Amino acid sequence: MGKTATLANIGSVADSSLGFRNRIINGAMVIDQRNAGASVTASGSEVYPVDRWVVAAFNATGGGATLTGQQSSTAPTGFNKSIAVTVNGTDTSLGTNDLYEVTQRIEGNNTADLGWGASGAANISLSFWVRSSVTGTYSVGVENSNGTRAYVVTYTISAANTWEYKTFSIPGDTTGTWGTSTGIGIQLRWCLATGTDRVAGAANAWSGGNYIAISSTANPIMGTSGATFYITGVQLEKGATATSFDYRPYGTELGLCQRYYYKQPATAYQSALLDGGSSDYPSIYVTHPVEMRTTPSTTFESFAGFYYNSGSGQASFTPSGGTTGYAGNARVGYSRIAAISNGPGATQVQRSGQWTAQLSFSAEL
Amino acid sequence: MTNYKLTNDWRTGQPIGVCKDGVLGIPFDPDNTDYQAYLKWLEEGNTPEPADEHE
Repeated sequence: MGKTATLANIGSVADSSLGFRNRIINGAMVIDQRNAGASVTASGSEVYPVDRWVVAAFNATGGGATLTGQQSSTAPTGFNKSIAVTVNGTDTSLGTNDLYEVTQRIEGNNTADLGWGASGAANISLSFWVRSSVTGTYSVGVENSNGTRAYVVTYTISAANTWEYKTFSIPGDTTGTWGTSTGIGIQLRWCLATGTDRVAGAANAWSGGNYIAISSTANPIMGTSGATFYITGVQLEKGATATSFDYRPYGTELGLCQRYYYKQPATAYQSALLDGGSSDYPSIYVTHPVEMRTTPSTTFESFAGFYYNSGSGQASFTPSGGTTGYAGNARVGYSRIAAISNGPGATQVQRSGQWTAQLSFSAEL
Repeated sequence: MTNYKLTNDWRTGQPIGVCKDGVLGIPFDPDNTDYQAYLKWLEEGNTPEPADEHE
């Protein structure tokens, strides 16, 4: 076969078959910067068991059920990680605003080419591996950012505790408003239980609402305390036919995650100031590893000594207090800690040096 | 119970963010979801603590 013929064959391959097909970030659940494999529990809140993935449990009408999420090594062939979700307690009386789900919110910049909200909207395919201890019919909702457009698909867990591969072809939505910039473009929501406010009239059709289930899938698992739900290998791609999972290098996947969250290495040295006053206000200057989605929120995971030149040689200062301050812009910023107990800067002197500190930054959707 | 405290820019003294529960530093950025949650908290009738005075 000559070069011309080879190129012609490449040209005939569907768009969705080439690299970077997957609009899902961390679809193989391999990146877990926050927890390093430890479990987190959603109780009236959202938590991130792995990067980019949310587990939510909102129990508005009582019942006391929560969800624990954790990166797991239980995985189907071809994968080595998944999210494991465990049901704690039960909730069989679901009211408005009761919600238990697994979610990924995709940035509009990564779905803008689908052209949703207008004629010519591209079809998409959704595929994933799933396993549950409870058999039955489950559902996933595909939604826009403000919950005014939704498409619910259903799937069946046929055998308990067995990995099953699911694929769906979803027509592009030609109406509604779909984000195309740094906000949410599309959100995918795996329903574990919901009140009637998120139940659509029918599956496999676009409708105007905030829907993640139909009546038969509104509570597939939350009636069983200790039930487990695993998911991995999630892929959302352009085109009507799902293709094999688009593996990306670990470093590439990590960089994609860090646009939304990153945590510095423990005991990282930070170039810093300690500005003078009756109290000290340390500022740490940060260059983010990638440009974050928007100005991030900051958490001081740990905060230890300040090393500086006192004028007569190296000196150090260990704060006895301090709280989290403020993060700068999306590329380079500073984080300021509220007043700590008086240190070497407290006599109207501004000192430069370095803190040993660990910060995390969040610009999640 | 959630607590928010305003944070001033140490150079200008102007509010530039808010600290949640003494842990999370939140910028005044409408695209930041933590800031969006803060705005919702304000809409519910809550008031943040004033910022520390910087001397």
